[in-house]
Amino acid sequence: MLENQSKELSENREDEITRQLWANGLCMKTTEVEAKLDEGNIQEAESSLREGLSLNSEEARALLGRLEYQRGNLEGALRLFEGIDLQAAIQRLQASAPPPEKPVNKKNRPREPQQQPVVPQHAASLVLEAIYLKAKSLQKLGRTAEAARECKSVLDSVEKIFQQGISDAQVDTRLQETVSHAVELLPSLFKDSGDYQEAISAYRRALSSQWNLDNDSCARIQKDFAVFLLHSGVEASPPSLASQVEGSYTPRNNLEEAILLLMILIKKFNSGKAKWDPSVIEHLTFALSLCSQTSVLAKQLEEVMPGVFTRVERWNSLALCYSAAGQTSAAVNLLRKSLHKHEQPDDLVALLLAAKLCSEEPSLAAEGAGYAERGVKNAQGMDEHLKGVGLRMLGLCLGKQAKVPTSDFERSRLQSESLKALDGAIAFEHNNPDLIFELGVQYAEQRNLKAASRYSKEFIDATGGSVLKGWRFLALVLSAQQRFSEAEVVTDAALDETAKWDQGPLLRLKAKLKISQSNPTEAVETYRYLLALVQAQRKSFGPLRTISQMEEDKVNEFEVWHGLAYLYSSLSHWNDVEVCLKKAGELKQYSASMLHTEGKNKNPL
Amino acid sequence: MSESPTINDSPPSPAIAGDSQTTAANESDPNAKCQTAIQSLSSIVTTTTIPSTISLLLGDSSVSAAISSLLLRPDSGAGDNNLCRWLYDTFQSTEPSLHLLVLRFVPLIAGLYLSRVLLRQPQAGFEAVLLALYAHETTSRAGQAVTVNIPDLSHPSIYHESKGPAKNNSTCLNIAVVSSTLDPHGTVRSTRRARIVGVALELYYSEISRMPRQSKLDFCGACEKWAGGNGETRAGVVPEEEESVAVARSEKDGGRIPLPWELVQPMMRILGHCLMGMKVEDKEVKEAASKACQSLYLRSLHDINPKAILAAGSLLRLREIALDPKNQIDHTEISNDNVLSV
Repeated sequence: MLENQSKELSENREDEITRQLWANGLCMKTTEVEAKLDEGNIQEAESSLREGLSLNSEEARALLGRLEYQRGNLEGALRLFEGIDLQAAIQRLQASAPPPEKPVNKKNRPREPQQQPVVPQHAASLVLEAIYLKAKSLQKLGRTAEAARECKSVLDSVEKIFQQGISDAQVDTRLQETVSHAVELLPSLFKDSGDYQEAISAYRRALSSQWNLDNDSCARIQKDFAVFLLHSGVEASPPSLASQVEGSYTPRNNLEEAILLLMILIKKFNSGKAKWDPSVIEHLTFALSLCSQTSVLAKQLEEVMPGVFTRVERWNSLALCYSAAGQTSAAVNLLRKSLHKHEQPDDLVALLLAAKLCSEEPSLAAEGAGYAERGVKNAQGMDEHLKGVGLRMLGLCLGKQAKVPTSDFERSRLQSESLKALDGAIAFEHNNPDLIFELGVQYAEQRNLKAASRYSKEFIDATGGSVLKGWRFLALVLSAQQRFSEAEVVTDAALDETAKWDQGPLLRLKAKLKISQSNPTEAVETYRYLLALVQAQRKSFGPLRTISQMEEDKVNEFEVWHGLAYLYSSLSHWNDVEVCLKKAGELKQYSASMLHTEGKNKNPL
Repeated sequence: MSESPTINDSPPSPAIAGDSQTTAANESDPNAKCQTAIQSLSSIVTTTTIPSTISLLLGDSSVSAAISSLLLRPDSGAGDNNLCRWLYDTFQSTEPSLHLLVLRFVPLIAGLYLSRVLLRQPQAGFEAVLLALYAHETTSRAGQAVTVNIPDLSHPSIYHESKGPAKNNSTCLNIAVVSSTLDPHGTVRSTRRARIVGVALELYYSEISRMPRQSKLDFCGACEKWAGGNGETRAGVVPEEEESVAVARSEKDGGRIPLPWELVQPMMRILGHCLMGMKVEDKEVKEAASKACQSLYLRSLHDINPKAILAAGSLLRLREIALDPKNQIDHTEISNDNVLSV
């Protein structure tokens, strides 16, 4: 069946392609030979080649094999390659290779060029090419494990022959091509056949031994290895320490090695040693975002040669990096540039990001409101789902802006606009808990406590109680409504749902609630508990938490001592007040509130 | 439709009730442990026959499907659920293959658990399993954080040379935290829920290369559910879905949950593997992962979360690059000359 097909194909091809075989100064058309091969007459084909081009059996088989491979008859090619003896070829090649010189390292090329003339390696390298094509055929037939074995034997043979590594002058282009291909193919064959450990060694061998690879091949292998390390889910054992220089960087795990390779690739591109491959920066973006190291990513993006990204693209990417790293003002500056009316003023994501960043600062809030309005206007068609986001940002900015103005009228106008925008947003995003929270906060700021408590309860429901600020908000709203005992119940429930290290703000709240309920002894007890927690945190707090965990505001010890001092002063326990003030003073020398309390202490009227 | 599994139906076996698991686990023979696990499983899963060896069981898709359908039942996470009990007990063993057996169901369990939280259902069974995974990871890491030392190219490395920083020889360490420290947890507190599930996902990722494709498909489905509909489905046309996803959509809000970074980061790593790290071309998994990425990307736009935008966006762009026919050249192919020479 296959032969009939190939006969058909070859008949069609004969109209288009006529191949020729050249050897030893002789030439031969392939028409006859192809016909013989199609009939299955391998012996005849081989002998006609041997006669026609004065080749030996091995060379003839190799050439025929290549012919069959190019014609797409993989099974036929394999049959031809079967008979080739690799070992003999290696011995022959070893005999003809130049004797080992003193070790060639990268910087120190041998002074004189090769003393012997380049020995004809054609025949033996033909054999290596044949084995390589055998591997390729097996690969295309899906027999990847066998293909990997064959490919490995090519490289093992080359290593045996060129023990010091390959340099430019030693091999002809054809052999070099075969070697480069084999080096690049082997790791992916192991990968495809699922033999991950071999794949890793193949990659390392490809990158650390001397194969005289050209820049592009080397770059491709490095990239493939980096992708493998990042995504295969198989942890590679760290590279051997054999060649470590003092002070050099040694990766200890997959992520480190992948990031190192990717950074090297970017540097190669920047210095013109490799072609730009857009996937490299994307992989690096992924890897560095996962490690929350977007500021490092920003530096890499800045160093990329001009012309790769448009300037607006670059600014927007940098803005994302900086905002993820918490460097808000840098991000806002970049977004201002890219949203300028002469650049890309309608980029929706940039507008929304800018609005969000501005909503965190009262001084920027008005500017942010402008961006948000433009965002709402631009959220059309495919992007209409982002309209709600725009409205939400608008509401936040206006709400923040309301903290700035000097007149009551202006403030109440801004606040009502803010509520209108947030209500508009809810129509689009009714299941967004953050929006519910922000609505609640707005209502609370406008002293509409009933609405605020409703929204705060809804937030806790919508998030399953998993966000601490929801609990605190509800407790605060209830206490603003003078419902202290209920607030305390909420605080206790929240304490049940939080781990020890996060309980500081809740305990502080609880203490104050106890004071408001005229329950000073229990308040003191709560403060003591809080103090123990804060001191334990200070001593044993592991530094290695992600940024998000560090953002939760921590209670500092000074606050606790000061709170205690205040409490004791209301109880007229003046000695205790002194003690607390002294402790507070040790932590923070100059504090207005502390001096005030101290004054009261000295003058208990 | 089979009856809900009862202990009475199965032949008497010493390893059925939960208590006897502890005595069985004292045996040091790994085979015996696997056997006890298999035997107790056969009393829970009665719809298909359980293979007799652990390696056969790991490869058996009908048993996996049966377990999955049991998990998808509305009350499957309850404290007295047999299957949860079995998963918990099986994971406590020190046998790695038994761990693998439990891990493959992590996406399904995590997906159902987080989405059902908002329904205020008691889910002590699921919580026990997740806590067991969390405890295992805490112990094996001794609570330490997983960190990465970000390279500085001014220092030479095994892959490149450099003059090195001029004055000081010390390698300026830039330590990045990939997974923060772990405090032991005996119960699931709601503010720690995301972290506990995140750690379970990290554990799942550590064995991802040995997870079956159905498990990865479950995971992609869970991601899409968690991200919530953010504008992808246009005009309300929802294509034919598998039963599990249809069940999910009938729950409150379609299963959309808050997505803090503790969850998003392991999710991204797993999706990255599904898109670019699988050994064999698996179009279905890649498609599912791509859709999940898309959902997460849109969700991160909605939340305006720059880190998630960067990570999800990069995965999507990589997918585009990979699908572009321009980039599918085989560089290891030989040139196709018409003149073949020696």
